Amino acid sequence: MQNSTIKTQLIKLAPFVFFIFVWKTAAVVVSSEIILPSPEKTLASLSALLQTKGFWSSVIATITRGLAGFLLSLGMGLLVGLVAGLNKTANILLQPFIILCRSTPLMSIILIALIWFKTEHVPIFVSFLISFPIICGNVIEGVKNVDSKLVEMAFIHKVKKIRVFFEVYLPSLVPYLLAGISNAMGIGWKVVIAAEVLSQPRFGIGTRLQFERINLETAAVFAWTIVALVISFGFENLIRFAEKKVLSWR
Amino acid sequence: MALRLEKITKKYGELSIFENFSLEIPEQKITCILGPSGCGKTTLLSIIGRIIQPDHGRLIGFENKTFSYLFQDLRLLDWKTVYGNLDFVLKDIYPREERAKKINYHLKMVDLLKFKDYYPKSLSGGMKQRLAIARAFAYPSDVLLMDEPFKALDLPLKMSLINDFVQLWLNDLRTVIFVTHDIEEALLATDQIYLFSKPPVRIIKALSLNIPRNARTSQEKCFVALKQELYHTIMLGEEEVGIAADYSSQLPRSRPRAV
Repeated sequence: MQNSTIKTQLIKLAPFVFFIFVWKTAAVVVSSEIILPSPEKTLASLSALLQTKGFWSSVIATITRGLAGFLLSLGMGLLVGLVAGLNKTANILLQPFIILCRSTPLMSIILIALIWFKTEHVPIFVSFLISFPIICGNVIEGVKNVDSKLVEMAFIHKVKKIRVFFEVYLPSLVPYLLAGISNAMGIGWKVVIAAEVLSQPRFGIGTRLQFERINLETAAVFAWTIVALVISFGFENLIRFAEKKVLSWR
Repeated sequence: MALRLEKITKKYGELSIFENFSLEIPEQKITCILGPSGCGKTTLLSIIGRIIQPDHGRLIGFENKTFSYLFQDLRLLDWKTVYGNLDFVLKDIYPREERAKKINYHLKMVDLLKFKDYYPKSLSGGMKQRLAIARAFAYPSDVLLMDEPFKALDLPLKMSLINDFVQLWLNDLRTVIFVTHDIEEALLATDQIYLFSKPPVRIIKALSLNIPRNARTSQEKCFVALKQELYHTIMLGEEEVGIAADYSSQLPRSRPRAV
């Protein structure tokens, strides 16, 4: 048992070791820190970044924007998704808007948002437009998959409508909602940082990425990328944890 | 006073399920509707439970009755515990302490008290069935409608569940309407059996069973005789509409009714 856990851990570690090995080899072959900085150079750059004054402000600004966009899409997605899931007409009316959100190129959305909004708010708006259709779509799917026989069972036992909503509809929705949240978050961080690169708010990981690129500090670009990855992984794990807690009945 | 269905007509498109159909259901007895698949048994329960409306006809004596169901597919809430599943249907009716008392009593009756914090996923098939039975009895109702609740179960489990069901019922006499296509189930549990034909439904045979419940084992002579007779009636499609037979005289020993 003990052995097999250690073995599993080692197997999980193997891709990282391999990846760093390839990275290092490539860096040696290319032998140009501007084109491909070595892993240790990137690490050194990362630890230098951690010391700088603006580091945490940038990280916190990006996380705040990401969460703001996400919470907006969660609230709206849940509300609109429920209405559209329960009402056919609402669903038909909503579809063109969802398709519009899904098909418009990301860059068009960012550029249009730049014209309309303050630089600080552009990433929030963009991440909302990207995440909303994902969450909304999942909620609609979830509502459609609520077991009508359970609703009938509640109806026969004269359970109050509000309780049917909270105790039958909502729990059946949760797995769909969590899948939507996981997708929306995964894509959300990418979108927020992309929008920051173009909109250049005062603080933000995207702002710093662009700044380092202009200064040809490739190692710092890599270091900021690692920071973005850590944020994304962190939230992904948080969702997995929540999923385990909430879906313990499964 | 008995409950009555009078001159009920129900059609699904061209298919006529009931035409001027009448039926009498004794109160506080277990009435069994026995018949082949697709003979309108579930439709009958839906009409009685007011889930669907008949095209014509009326229900007499059902006006102020409340209903509970035992579903064939159980319909438990997977995200609620054993306790929570009972609590779900009782919450709007009783205050907390009374609910707790009722739930604990019914869980005890079906041997699930120890498992009250379990989710349905960790229960066996038989335990889930017992939970559904407990829910049907915990919910305050005058009429209990059962739609083939013991279908697709192996014989020992079926016997033990029927026994649980009868025990709960003996402590809390309700009007039970029990739909099945299984002769054995019908004979084991019920007071009154109506044998239905294919649609449009007629009553092929009506039986009153006055056999004490503790004498109802598969080996008992009269039980076997009844079983064979019902079987033959179904096979031959005999039409003995409205002939009620009292088989109590065929009992080897006369015992008082257990009810």
